Amino acid sequence: MVMFLLRRVLAGLVLVLVVATLTFALLNLTGTDAARNILGENATPEQAAAEAATLGMNRPLPVRYWDWLSHAVRGDLGTSWFKGEAVTSSLASTLPITLSLALAGLLLSALLSVGLGTAAAVRGGRLDRAIQFLAVLSSAAPSFLVGLLLAVTVAVKLRWLPATGYVSFTDSAGGWLRSITLPAIALAIAATGGTAQQVRGSLIDVLGSEYIRLLRSRGISERRVVFKHALRNAAPAGLTVLSLQFIGLIGGAVIIEKIFGLPGVGSLANFSAVQGDQPVVLGVVVVTAAIVVLVNLLIDIAYGWLNPKVRAA
Amino acid sequence: MKRRLLLAAVAALLLATAACGGGSSSSEASTKTGGTLTIGMSLDATSWDLAKAGDGNDAVYNQPVYDSLLRMAPDGSLTPNLATKWVYDDKQTTLTLTLRDGVKFTDGKILDSAAVRANLLHTKGGNAAGSELTGIAEVTAPDANTVKITLSEPDPSLLSALGQVPGMIASPDALDATSGPVGSGPYVLDKAGTTAGRQYTYTRNKDYWNASAFPYDKIVILPMTDPAARFNALSSGQVDWTTISADRVDAAKGAGLTVATTPGATEGLYIWDRDGKIVPALKSPLVRQALNYAFDRAAIVKTVRKGLGTATEQSFLPGDAAYDTSLDSRYPYDLAKAKQLLAQAGYPNGFDVTIPDLSANFPQEQAAINQALADLGVKVKTVPVPLNQLFTALQGGKYAMSYFKLSAVGPWDIVQNEFLKNAAWNPFHTTDPKVDELVKAIAAAKVDAQPALFRQLNTYLVEQAWNAPWDVLDTVLAMNKKVTMAAQKTTVFPPIYSLKPAG
Repeated sequence: MVMFLLRRVLAGLVLVLVVATLTFALLNLTGTDAARNILGENATPEQAAAEAATLGMNRPLPVRYWDWLSHAVRGDLGTSWFKGEAVTSSLASTLPITLSLALAGLLLSALLSVGLGTAAAVRGGRLDRAIQFLAVLSSAAPSFLVGLLLAVTVAVKLRWLPATGYVSFTDSAGGWLRSITLPAIALAIAATGGTAQQVRGSLIDVLGSEYIRLLRSRGISERRVVFKHALRNAAPAGLTVLSLQFIGLIGGAVIIEKIFGLPGVGSLANFSAVQGDQPVVLGVVVVTAAIVVLVNLLIDIAYGWLNPKVRAA
Repeated sequence: MKRRLLLAAVAALLLATAACGGGSSSSEASTKTGGTLTIGMSLDATSWDLAKAGDGNDAVYNQPVYDSLLRMAPDGSLTPNLATKWVYDDKQTTLTLTLRDGVKFTDGKILDSAAVRANLLHTKGGNAAGSELTGIAEVTAPDANTVKITLSEPDPSLLSALGQVPGMIASPDALDATSGPVGSGPYVLDKAGTTAGRQYTYTRNKDYWNASAFPYDKIVILPMTDPAARFNALSSGQVDWTTISADRVDAAKGAGLTVATTPGATEGLYIWDRDGKIVPALKSPLVRQALNYAFDRAAIVKTVRKGLGTATEQSFLPGDAAYDTSLDSRYPYDLAKAKQLLAQAGYPNGFDVTIPDLSANFPQEQAAINQALADLGVKVKTVPVPLNQLFTALQGGKYAMSYFKLSAVGPWDIVQNEFLKNAAWNPFHTTDPKVDELVKAIAAAKVDAQPALFRQLNTYLVEQAWNAPWDVLDTVLAMNKKVTMAAQKTTVFPPIYSLKPAG
């Protein structure tokens, strides 16, 4: 188990480094003139050049890369060129929002997928076909479209829930739940389709296997057969799909944040990328990559716990 | 059983939180005073430190907490605020301000001439709003209520700058504003209700010297970059006032919102190469005039801007000192006349020009240009230029002309941004002795005499067809029925004292 973990952690670190390097290269090749964006429309070329020099943009690329990297590994991600705020503190205030959104979406998606997948596998018939149809539909619907529809109908027309804004959990648990509900639903719907299908498929396979028939013949209730025995074996496949979905959820959160006006990492990344605020973009990319690696690692551990055969690999 | 219970519990929890937890964050019943004004802004605040703050967007965040020296009325005229009197000397290089008595900052310090001096010199060192104060050579405080500002040369836009962010006064102990803004303004920043980037709450400053001018007890500003989110927030009652995009005007009106416009930017075909360095034809005023005749401005405003704009041939804004309504009929749409002028200039078969292709971001505008040039027989080569490289490319003098738009500002700022030799938007550094002479005269003239001189300059620029402007496009604002706004002619965002409860 330990070797397994170590290998995965090392691979994860290499991945984060590669992602950071690629991002750094791309940022400096796009030609976005951050200095001009800072100074505004009426800056002369000389003023823009002076600002660029102040930001250190005139140094050769490898020098700037090494400067950033040597600070980053020590935890200093630099300061924003635009707002002068430390990148770590911007991330500290925005990351919890995005994470709570992504996790809420993940949980909701997991609940829905297991519920729908199980119902489809166990009941079969018309319910099964209906759920499969819904799953395809939800996979096809882009999350931003679902989000916009929810915002317009539930928030604007019906006024049941707020259209925008985020209330942090520490300020008001009820407010947090209200502000996160529509965005989480929008995210979850897109992820549920594929996962539900996967759960359904593997559950059907498992339910048809020899040992399940043996359990039934011993008189164990169908409920226990499904939930205590069959699901446990069907779960790993679902978990794999879910871990893939999580990456999609983080990406989807960026767009959902925009639609619902949530001041999370997505909004930060969006704004900084457009303006050319390199320290912030790099910081966001590195931290997000690290989180994705971490989540995948956790799911791998869960997978290993569920299925001891994996640990030996 | 357990699963059903769990699902039921989740559903009940969601319904419960939807039902309880009050309404959305905004206003109580509208009365003449009191209540909360909630504003949605497209950008976040930059800084409470006035040296780092910009004008425009930042003005809205800073106005509740800081007083400015002068106050700008909706029509652009200046009225007393922290300064009760102001007068220039004959050379227009020394401005003497008389300050109001008895104004205090919220930290208890007195707002006197020393405080004003400290602020002006601090803000002047900044890159953003401070750039409007670069003309200041020295500030002295002969007595507690008098401030003397000495300029290195006359600056006709100084007075209006003192009515905006550059003229805002912070407590001298908190110029850097590292722990928040400390000013003398009508409101105080409520730290408990403020999270940077998310929500800014301002509550009434109880000791304010002009409380009656500010009816709201509380102001909340929510930064939201996405236009759809802002619109939804406005439609669902979460904010009372925000900017919207032109394509949402019909939806806004349908939802019972009030829609208003302010001048946004002057757009059109900007002719950069007036000296003919890359395209010799553009050296001739006849050729540039021909380009002006080649656009149907009214049609552009109607189809491209959906009526949200004001057609004009002038580089200055309708209603400002330089604007002259008679000039708006100088170049009616007339292709025949345009071609005749080209022939007269010696280019009967047109000429060659390379322009940036901006159809990725401005499809209709680019199409209008391509069409007009084709109509004239001008041979056009277009080069796609990504928006993030456009400014550098244009300022580097790579293109002889292009579609462009420049934000709406006061007439002297337009002169400084476009018509001086080293102006940011004069990439080929073209000059004209008559333009320079008129600019000098405006600077030296007394405030009352400036409008006539501005109009002379404007007339000359239109006659010489320095550019081919199409229109001033509108910035669209929308508000719900609880708020009224005094019509703005000069700034994109109305000052908060222009917003009042309706009824």
